[in-house]
Amino acid sequence: MKISLRREQYLELYYYMRLNRSLEERLVTLFRQNKVVGGLYSSLGQEATSVGTAYALEKRDWMAPMIRNVGALLVKGYRPRDIFLQYMARYDSPTHGKDGTSHFGDLKERHVISPISMLGDLIPVMTGVAIAGRYLGQNIVAMTWIGDGGTSTGAFHEGMNFAATQRAPFVCVVENNQWAYSTPVRRQVPIRNLADRARAYGITSYIVDGNDVVAVYRVAKEAVERCRAGEGPILIEAKTMRMKGHAQHDPAEYVPREMFEYWQARDPIARYETFLSRQGLWTEQEKQQILDRIEREIAEDLAFAENSPFPPPELAEQGVYCEDAYEIKPEWQRPIEEVMPPKASVQAVWQVEDFGGIAEGAVQVIEAAAAPARDGTGRRQVARTPQRGKKKLSARGKGR
Amino acid sequence: MPVDVIMPQMGESIFEGTITKWLKKPGQRVERDEPLFEISTDKVDAEIPSPASGVLKEIKVREGETVPIKTVVALIDTDGATTSAAEATEAEEQKPAETPASAATGAEPGPAAPVPAAPAPQPVAGEDGRRIRSSPLVRRLAREHNIDLTTIRGTGAGGRISKRDILAAIKARATAPAPSVAAGRPEAAPAPLRLETPVPRERIYFGRYEVQPLTAMRQRIAEHMVLSKRTSPHVYSIDEVDMTRVVAVRNQAKAEFEQRFETKLTFMPFFVRACVEGLRAYPTLNASLDGTNLVLHRELNIGIAVALDWGLIVPVVKHAEEKNFLGLQRAINDLAERARTKKLKPEEVQESTFSITNPGVFGGLMGLPIINQPNVAILGVGAIQKRPVVIHDAIAIRSMVYLTLSYDHRVVDGAIAHQFIGKVKSVLENWQENIL
Amino acid sequence: MAHVTFLEAIRQALFEEMERDPAVVCLGEDIGVYGGAFKVTAGLLERFGWERVIDTPISETAIVGAAVGMSYLGLRPVAEMQFMDFIACCFNQITNFAAKSYYRWGAPVPIVIRGPSGGGVHGGPFHSQNPEMYFVHTPGLKVVYPATPYDAKGLLKSAIRDNNPVLFFEHKFLYRRIKEEIPADDYTVPLGQAKVRREGRDLTLVTYAAMVHTCLEAAEQLAQEGIEVELIDLRTLLPLDRETILQSLRKTNKLLVVHEDTKTGGIAGEIAALVCENAFEDLDGPILRVTALDTPVPYSPPLEERFLPNVHDVVRAARELARY
Repeated sequence: MKISLRREQYLELYYYMRLNRSLEERLVTLFRQNKVVGGLYSSLGQEATSVGTAYALEKRDWMAPMIRNVGALLVKGYRPRDIFLQYMARYDSPTHGKDGTSHFGDLKERHVISPISMLGDLIPVMTGVAIAGRYLGQNIVAMTWIGDGGTSTGAFHEGMNFAATQRAPFVCVVENNQWAYSTPVRRQVPIRNLADRARAYGITSYIVDGNDVVAVYRVAKEAVERCRAGEGPILIEAKTMRMKGHAQHDPAEYVPREMFEYWQARDPIARYETFLSRQGLWTEQEKQQILDRIEREIAEDLAFAENSPFPPPELAEQGVYCEDAYEIKPEWQRPIEEVMPPKASVQAVWQVEDFGGIAEGAVQVIEAAAAPARDGTGRRQVARTPQRGKKKLSARGKGR
Repeated sequence: MPVDVIMPQMGESIFEGTITKWLKKPGQRVERDEPLFEISTDKVDAEIPSPASGVLKEIKVREGETVPIKTVVALIDTDGATTSAAEATEAEEQKPAETPASAATGAEPGPAAPVPAAPAPQPVAGEDGRRIRSSPLVRRLAREHNIDLTTIRGTGAGGRISKRDILAAIKARATAPAPSVAAGRPEAAPAPLRLETPVPRERIYFGRYEVQPLTAMRQRIAEHMVLSKRTSPHVYSIDEVDMTRVVAVRNQAKAEFEQRFETKLTFMPFFVRACVEGLRAYPTLNASLDGTNLVLHRELNIGIAVALDWGLIVPVVKHAEEKNFLGLQRAINDLAERARTKKLKPEEVQESTFSITNPGVFGGLMGLPIINQPNVAILGVGAIQKRPVVIHDAIAIRSMVYLTLSYDHRVVDGAIAHQFIGKVKSVLENWQENIL
Repeated sequence: MAHVTFLEAIRQALFEEMERDPAVVCLGEDIGVYGGAFKVTAGLLERFGWERVIDTPISETAIVGAAVGMSYLGLRPVAEMQFMDFIACCFNQITNFAAKSYYRWGAPVPIVIRGPSGGGVHGGPFHSQNPEMYFVHTPGLKVVYPATPYDAKGLLKSAIRDNNPVLFFEHKFLYRRIKEEIPADDYTVPLGQAKVRREGRDLTLVTYAAMVHTCLEAAEQLAQEGIEVELIDLRTLLPLDRETILQSLRKTNKLLVVHEDTKTGGIAGEIAALVCENAFEDLDGPILRVTALDTPVPYSPPLEERFLPNVHDVVRAARELARY
């Protein structure tokens, strides 16, 4: 599939990544000023994955961000003020202070579904979105993200499997950022490539350098269009790195320093800046314009957020139930005659493709492909962080 | 039968009232609900309707006297019959009943018999000293019907007094004369706040002078103001608001509004609406302080000061947050009108959560009002005047008003107060609501 | 008016709602070709087709999760739990995703999760439970548990048309045992309203689901002894119809609560607290509970009979309370 970008799109990708990072840098300041209520989660180092994948979606498509997908929220039309307000728990926030962080969404305009803190649950939910969109004739694609750790949940498996059996137009982006809180990916999953899991669901998968925004975009765009064309769900594994702790309180001392250094040299924004300059896609002046715009937008939105009041206490009691007067209406984009009135045409009999046996007396061995070494470190990782790194790891473990 | 006319309780915190005027003389006929007398209390001046039809038999409290609530102030004879029989019954019942204990003493005389003590305190005990077994329902019915549970024999499980037993006892007693239910004594009123004379008297009385006693209402106002100033450290914040847009909206709509809804269109509902928005955003100003507890009110009940020829009263627009513009205007006009004709009900001057006063109607450029307790803030609205204003480095003629907010610094700080005024100002300057 | 079983009434409700509104779809394990483990959904696939009657993998979390996702696009999915015992598998989707969605970010979740529950059919520990109270404790959900065919049909229709996640418990003991004449035309029974099934002056008996029938039988027996029981069928556990309970208690002044759910943390405790808080001085006796034992549901018939409350237990408790 030939996927090309126009020059202004290249610059837009940069704008979103840079906005993502600047916004989070400002949030850190606010956190230290005690203006953030609760925890603060950083997507430092993962901006290319969030932005590049979300950029492949159309307005009609649906997405559900996770905690580190601020970039995706920005691409889908949310503004820095929404994120400031959420973290600062103000009344004007999308949830009016009822929830924080990236836990918000919009069914009507932006087609964004709010995550919950329990990982994996979005996979079946987005499968349902994809199935419903198909039933309504909307020709949409549903996308969500999950970390390497989140793929260990039962909900992930149930959702991927159901999506596969339904051939749902659903793209699941596995952001392999190497760490699930303090547990390295290899302790979560005994395979090097999380994309391998797709094979078990009988679906297509991609592995992509998650710190190369153009590569991420190209892969995501191809996956989205293949889904839209009816090829069924697709899994994308983006290899990237969480450059901070799980949240602000976590200094991430369990991460070997060399590992940070390795990924620091592959910073997605720095790499993209070099790429844009080398390809002659921007001038120094244009870069400065983007940076100025971001600075201005963040300043304006922060001022707005800081002036927003806290919610009135009585709001706590309101809105537990959705009243009858609220009208819920699906948007039909196929002729309603196709479903109404119902047609009695189905013969309730399964078509069975084969009878499921194996050749009489046959035995088949399937060896674990590319299984990691027993000590839990993969071949390539041994090459980069030899025993030395491991020792350091336990030395820093502070008594664990 | 004579019917007692009592001094009504015009609010939970009211303990006494002053009779300012009797509208009937003894011997005159009065119909039920016909105004009988006028009173003045801390909160309200009101006409009190007669509780029954009949002849005003006796006035017990004269004009100008102040008595505790629930005091009988007059008697009405409903059918002209003599009352001696009923009075006799009452008198009889007030005699202490003979206790079973003293009867028992009589039955078994003996020098060593101890003098019976007063009836046993709670829990009620039976003759054998055991605790009486009943139920929450039985105890409630006993209290309501003034029945002594020691006089009832229980037939429930284990000799328990059941619902059946007490209902039987109530029925049995129905034939006997009903005991008078003692009216709960009013709680002791707090010592009235003395209005102090801060200097030696001779420095007041000199030359030629005339002495006018303060009316009851004036005294209440004076006390309330002293109390408020003494209780709340007042801070004042002032801002000016460009009312040009509101003035234009009102001028444009006035004729149609008043014709369609048959009520006057004033500026007050604009200010009330703006305050509602402000209070929603800054609920701390919609509060009362109880010791170390801040009571944040859920309702937005806006008190509006109404000047009267004989003083000042603050009727309350209840649930202002639920009213549309027309609803606010109607409520304001209705309350003001009834304040002037003394037709306010006591509950209509209670439970304000925030107040607005409008010295501007008398031409005041601005005023620094005193907080209406137990609110924590009051907004003063000055006169709307055309003034030259600098806009974009040009001088324009705009309709301007000064808003002054007095607030209780124990609860509210300047930052919140200014943000509140800012919100009020923003609503007024960018008025969006269609008022028709 | 037709004479139909409890099960048929539920099937009619599904059929009629799918006929009325193309946004209504069904999903669950073995509900399509097979027609459901109890045949509640028999015939739906033939009438409404593969898109609207979805056979799923054995994945309760995926079933409820997908239903939630579908509802975000305006559909009104009805998810079947093959047995309500299995609802434990998707607890998170229900209590954290569905229940909190509208409160947190204003996204309503108009789904129904329905399925067979309850004991008395020797189903053993995992096919007999009454897991309703896990969900009654979760704000944002509605919990319905009908006792008659008429109510089952009318309540299920209301549940499907409701804008909130509704858990609809169908007592499997009633599926084919209870028959009733119900109107052929469209009707609904509102959620959140209890029903007085029998009027009486001596004591109020609050119950729901299959125990309604046990209690009606007990009430007959008690009436012969001169004890007139007022029997309230809750029908909906969340929101609870507090007014009907309090009103009846203020009349009879005594309260007995009966349920097939286990005792600790059952709704009887909640109702007792409700009465103590709001009508203590109307009580002429202690509040009594007759419930299942605080044990898992045992398999062998003599054990299960011991586990479940029966007519005799109800009569004995009512007698004791009446005498009090």
